[in-house]
Amino acid sequence: MIRRAMATAQESPSGWRQYRQEIAFLAIFLLVLGGGFTVLSINWVNDHLVEPFTGAIATASAGVLNLLGQGIIQTGTVLTGSRFAVNIRNGCNGVEALIIFVAAVLAFPATWRSRFIGLALGTIAIQIINLIRVVALFLTGAYVPKLFESSHTVIWQSIVILCAVLLWIYWANRYAVRPGERTGDQEAA
Amino acid sequence: MPSARASAPVTKKRPEPSVQRSSPPAGASRGAAARWTARFARNLLWAAPLTVLVWVLITPFYNRFLAASAESFVRLTEHPAQTRLDLREGQYAVASRRDFGTRARDITRGRVTDCHFNLLLLGSLFLAVPKLTLSQRFGNLGWALLIAMFFHILLLSLLVKFTYATQMGDYSLAHYGPFARNAYGLLTQLMDLPFKFALPLILWTVFYLRRVPRAA
Repeated sequence: MIRRAMATAQESPSGWRQYRQEIAFLAIFLLVLGGGFTVLSINWVNDHLVEPFTGAIATASAGVLNLLGQGIIQTGTVLTGSRFAVNIRNGCNGVEALIIFVAAVLAFPATWRSRFIGLALGTIAIQIINLIRVVALFLTGAYVPKLFESSHTVIWQSIVILCAVLLWIYWANRYAVRPGERTGDQEAA
Repeated sequence: MPSARASAPVTKKRPEPSVQRSSPPAGASRGAAARWTARFARNLLWAAPLTVLVWVLITPFYNRFLAASAESFVRLTEHPAQTRLDLREGQYAVASRRDFGTRARDITRGRVTDCHFNLLLLGSLFLAVPKLTLSQRFGNLGWALLIAMFFHILLLSLLVKFTYATQMGDYSLAHYGPFARNAYGLLTQLMDLPFKFALPLILWTVFYLRRVPRAA
């Protein structure tokens, strides 16, 4: 009878166990998220990694804006045009959205191979979206300055994070494979 | 010792949680998974504008509600309770206390609208999930909004305490020790950045993680 009860319990977990998948996801997600932002807050990391990365984003944005005829002069992370100037700071470099994406990918049950694919493609995609954001914000500031504040803090932050979530969902059902499962490609290899 | 429940004849399988009922089976075909994602993305096209519209309409009232709620919450931490939290231009939180004299103090990062713009993400994500009944969709969204509301009250309250503890020079040094200043700084930083941004996804996964189909 005890054995039968145990077998039943294994078939349909009760209580908190039925939410084990969600609990595991949230625990890992929050751990990576908190850890990621804690690492970002270390001065050395900020000075040696984040700032140069933000500088690279400024360079790329200046390149695109110059292609659009804006005549941008770049000084570090500051982009100056004839009508508007903007300083790309932490929060505008896509790193926050990236950390949320990384945390979600690492927390979702999948093989390490599919995680690496997700992280590589997701990083590129999020940075492209962020580049579009910086360029669009600069143009908003230059031509519709009244909308800049709302666009900066509300609209584009939401869009970038929404894109990160969409990318994660796409990855989860396109690439994520449960550990132990194999795709046709893997079997063939 | 076997319990009464264990020895009872098992004639009926325990019902699955409602969120799982119409989920695609694990290992759904690649086509079904792709269709689910496409439908989710397509639903975002109406869910996002609808959420923005509702959010813009309720923001003036919600800002006032948050300021009043955060004022009550902050006053719970004071003895005697002193903080008054008002709104400037309908969205900037301004605190005043008797021991500030006649001055009022703008709350650092205290644009109340910025505290709750994650509702745009939350509403869009919850409304866009495919294959849900109306009651499931709005029931789950209601729970998520309730949790988010508590988060917003806590965030605004923390911003007020953060301002008191770290942004007011001599007043901060006189009333808050190094530990309290660092604790409020860290908590505010975590709440205002990672958790504010990630809250919609966190809540979404609580309700819908099992619905995300996998092509394998």
